[in-house]
Amino acid sequence: MNAHDLRALKVPLIVLISVIAIGAGLIYYSDITLAQAQLALTQQQAQLNVARTRLQKSGDEKELIVRYLKNYEYLQRLGFAGDEQRINWLDGLRLANQQTQLFGIDYQIGVQQPYPYASELDPGQLALYQSVMKINVRLLHEGDLMRFLGTLAKEGAGVFSVNECTLQRIDTGGSIRFQPNLRADCELAWITVRPATPGEKKS
Amino acid sequence: MADKLLISVSASQVSAARWQGGRFAKCNVFANSEDGLAGFKDYLEQVSRLPVHILIDAVEEDYRFELLPHSFGADRSQMVNRKLKQHYRNTPYSSARPQGRDSGKRRDDRYLFCALTNPELLASWVQAVSESKLPIAGIYLLPTVSHGLVEKLQLKQPNLLMVSIHSAGMRLTYFRDQKLRISRLARIDSTGPQAIKSYSEEISNTRLYLHALRIMTLDEQVSVLIIDRDDSLTELADAVVRDNPNIECRRLGRPEIVASVGISAPALDSSTDAFYLHLLGLHAPDSNLAPSNVTSGYRQLQARHGVFALTSAAAFVAASWCAVNLYRIVDTRFDTTSAARQTVQLQAQYQEATRQFPAAPTTADNLKRAVDISQKIGATMRSPEAMMSLVSQALESNPSIILKTMGWKYGTANIDVDSGKSSQSTGNPGALAMAAGSRRQSGLVDGEVRPFRGDYRAAIETINRFAETLSQQPQVAEVKILKMPLNISPGLTLSGNTTDSREQAGRAEFKLLLVLKQTI
Repeated sequence: MNAHDLRALKVPLIVLISVIAIGAGLIYYSDITLAQAQLALTQQQAQLNVARTRLQKSGDEKELIVRYLKNYEYLQRLGFAGDEQRINWLDGLRLANQQTQLFGIDYQIGVQQPYPYASELDPGQLALYQSVMKINVRLLHEGDLMRFLGTLAKEGAGVFSVNECTLQRIDTGGSIRFQPNLRADCELAWITVRPATPGEKKS
Repeated sequence: MADKLLISVSASQVSAARWQGGRFAKCNVFANSEDGLAGFKDYLEQVSRLPVHILIDAVEEDYRFELLPHSFGADRSQMVNRKLKQHYRNTPYSSARPQGRDSGKRRDDRYLFCALTNPELLASWVQAVSESKLPIAGIYLLPTVSHGLVEKLQLKQPNLLMVSIHSAGMRLTYFRDQKLRISRLARIDSTGPQAIKSYSEEISNTRLYLHALRIMTLDEQVSVLIIDRDDSLTELADAVVRDNPNIECRRLGRPEIVASVGISAPALDSSTDAFYLHLLGLHAPDSNLAPSNVTSGYRQLQARHGVFALTSAAAFVAASWCAVNLYRIVDTRFDTTSAARQTVQLQAQYQEATRQFPAAPTTADNLKRAVDISQKIGATMRSPEAMMSLVSQALESNPSIILKTMGWKYGTANIDVDSGKSSQSTGNPGALAMAAGSRRQSGLVDGEVRPFRGDYRAAIETINRFAETLSQQPQVAEVKILKMPLNISPGLTLSGNTTDSREQAGRAEFKLLLVLKQTI
């Protein structure tokens, strides 16, 4: 095929290239549209399955509510479920101090933050938070610390875990008067749980 | 079957017919003269963009049957072209047609070389076609299209002589094993009263001619097929058989031609060449005499048709693809809409069902999880009590150890040995979460040996004994003495006093890290 032959084929070749280009474009566009439609169908079917499963399990759901509602309400009153109840914590500290006859408690509560060990607890749609409280307690002897912590837990002011404690002997100068011999610095984590709001990162 | 223009050129006349829908209606006949050429040009002006197939019926033709060494590809075409140039150097109209393999040991290739030896006969007509911008697809010798009739009638005779009367004379074409071997045009006056006798004699002479050429022997039986398009040769068959006892003769009369070939009677009557033009229209033979410069227009036309066919195929594929996609899109969207409708219905049914539920502050799953989480936290909660108990027991066994400070921590990292606090107490929550499964209790015991009067050996032994007591407890994972009263490292300066005075002997202080097993 020489140059003259190619010149004679100029128009047909232009038509061919145009048709291929337009055809490829249409195929690409239709493929994309089809993929989007299939994705939308997949998502819709997933929603349908969720709705179907939810309806099928509505009987189980009712049973769960009946079974766990009272316990949950107790946790709400305890201050574990729902917003944190700092006043309850302070009341708990005050009452525990009185009941264990200690020498007063210094405290400092930090800002609320996500509970770092939430993944151990399989929280699902719940979000767990902790507020770290640092307390300074003066004790007659080391047994008072355990009595204090046990009393604080029984006060029902909330759910907490003890992260760390340091016991240090106080120099009393040999006096045997009723005065503290030990100082305890402890860090407690007051834990709360509440349903995660949309867009909220679960802890 | 594609439309085309069929032209037959002989020394006396030119016939042209337009092939449409697998047949032609009639031939236009032009005299082979200046006037005829002018009329032919006028006729061509009415034809546009049709490929032209030209049939030439002339005395100036040549057929050569040759054996060539078996080859293929470029070697074969080079050898054949060389032979063509060697045989027909004075004409551009030549061709070679392979006719199978020889039965000899070498199994050579058999070729029929043929050519129009007088190109001038065709020149003015080819030029007229070229001037009218019609693409020439091929130029063929008339006998080459006769092979189509052999196949059409399924003639199996090994020696077949096909006879027909044309405007230029009597055409005798010989087929050996259904393959064209030689043909000749004898100029015989067909108008005289002795025409039949002359024809019969010519057939007898042709038999002798074939014998002379060593194509066949006289002993072999020959079958003669008389193409009698106007039923004027009915006596010829009898005459041939009478003159040549070992010749089998068959006449193909006008009704048989019309019935077997499919040509219409008016078309057959329109020209003496109409029959062969029809065969050419049905199937163009392989032996095309036209050189490539003559058929360049046809190649362009074919290429254009090829490109347009490709364009059509591309358009069809794209349209089909898009149609299938469109159907699937519509189908998918219908399914999506249907699923959405079902989802809404199920959600409504669920909402209806939840009205029967007790009032709850959150979902059932959240209720259950919150309760479970509170129980898990209770189960994983730790206090310093266990460690304090262990240390107390060890102190009872080692009364000379005095405790100054004791730190405790429950976390993923051990307690900070410098300050007694956790090194990660307020660290990155994510980092803690990653190691969440390995929380354990660790403690830092800061104490001294009393009384101490400068006997470091005894003090160190006491501390080691204390550590040994702790490590023997089943709950303990690790005990590590971090600091001793005396650093005896050779890399450091060591100074002191050996007096027994307690005040001058200093203190036997130590630090000890205690780690409990994770299960505790």
